[in-house]
Amino acid sequence: MDKALLIQLGGSITAVALLVAFAAWLGVARATPPLDAESARALLSLEFPDHKPDAVWIAADGAALIARDGALALVLYRRGDGYVARDLPWSTVAALKPTNGRLTLRLSDARPVFAVNDDAWPPKELA
Amino acid sequence: MLKAAFDPVQLAIPFFVLAIILEILLGRFGKAKANYETRDTAMSLSMGFGSTVAGLLLGSVIFATTVWIWNHRIFTIPMTAIWAWVVLFLLEDLTYYWFHRLAHERRIWWASHVNHHTSTHYNLSTALRQTWTGGVAGTWLLWLPLTFLGFPPAMVAIQKGVSLVYQFWIHTEAIKRMPLWFEAVFNTPSHHRVHHARNARYLDANYAGILIIWDKMFGTFIPEVDEEPCSYGTVKNLGNFNILHNVFHEWVGIAKDVAASPRHALGYIFGPPGWSHDGSRDTSHTLKAKWRARVEAESGDQAGVGAP
Repeated sequence: MDKALLIQLGGSITAVALLVAFAAWLGVARATPPLDAESARALLSLEFPDHKPDAVWIAADGAALIARDGALALVLYRRGDGYVARDLPWSTVAALKPTNGRLTLRLSDARPVFAVNDDAWPPKELA
Repeated sequence: MLKAAFDPVQLAIPFFVLAIILEILLGRFGKAKANYETRDTAMSLSMGFGSTVAGLLLGSVIFATTVWIWNHRIFTIPMTAIWAWVVLFLLEDLTYYWFHRLAHERRIWWASHVNHHTSTHYNLSTALRQTWTGGVAGTWLLWLPLTFLGFPPAMVAIQKGVSLVYQFWIHTEAIKRMPLWFEAVFNTPSHHRVHHARNARYLDANYAGILIIWDKMFGTFIPEVDEEPCSYGTVKNLGNFNILHNVFHEWVGIAKDVAASPRHALGYIFGPPGWSHDGSRDTSHTLKAKWRARVEAESGDQAGVGAP
């Protein structure tokens, strides 16, 4: 491979690493306080504006929520300093089994883990 | 005439780096709105780097095709004439508009462009989140008519580079609005924030490269309104920070849909993103229709309050 090209590629990789480290060091991500009832409702209405969930369960660490709208589960979990929204059949969510206070959901592109206070699932709010 | 003497994008790289550092500092010290999440930034910058490498792989094919077209051109437009640069500026920007519009409205081209929109942040690093699969998607073919018309390939390459460099600085929340005359003619941070927004009201809008006039001419202009701040990313945001998933997820999605419903392959490949043969998914069109229905219902509710 051309030496100049190698230098250019190496320099680019170094520059990328330094910029990422700089951004991490200065910490300019959005604040993501644990979800409470009010912020959970606001997030749900933003991500699922056509749904009126009957009940909302917030994960023990406040980093995720699951709401139920009839036969549908509306899921939101934290990714970086934002949230990812997915909807899936409630029966899939209800069939999950938590272990050691952790509930793992298998999505097509992620395996979000939800913190539960005890291993009872589904929680009484959603059942 | 064939190879550009310089590449505006390469020349601008030091400026890109300094501008990102400045934006991070402004955000950190509260002087401007700027948020950088570490993994999101890493993804954006790595995509920019990977895009350069991917460009090298198909570069010779694209160059050979361009030379072949050049050898069959209609006119020979002089690279030294100012009028030629003015005409090329307008035609290249118009070409960019239609490329960009196709890249959003047809799934096969969206598959290669979607990675530019997957960041849930809008900062200068997002500008560098460039495609790896544009060469395969063939979007570069849209610029060949300029060469066929007689603009030297080097001239077209330089103008494309100028357009890309221009579009870097508009990926920011640090600048709220430019002067009115500038907002009326040029693409700006405000116009482009709308383009990157996932709010239903802002979908499929502001495809401009440098001049916003094309959106106004072709009916795709939507202004940013203060009462609805832009929320960034795609309608269905990515569930992870895996760079390969970011690059290929829509291609994989097309392949799965075509395999599951081969009779509807054309729709899944060339239909709008979100199209499905049974109408079970949302497109920008249906999302906007739902949004309009919600707005009308809310305004109806408000009108009903206090009515006898």
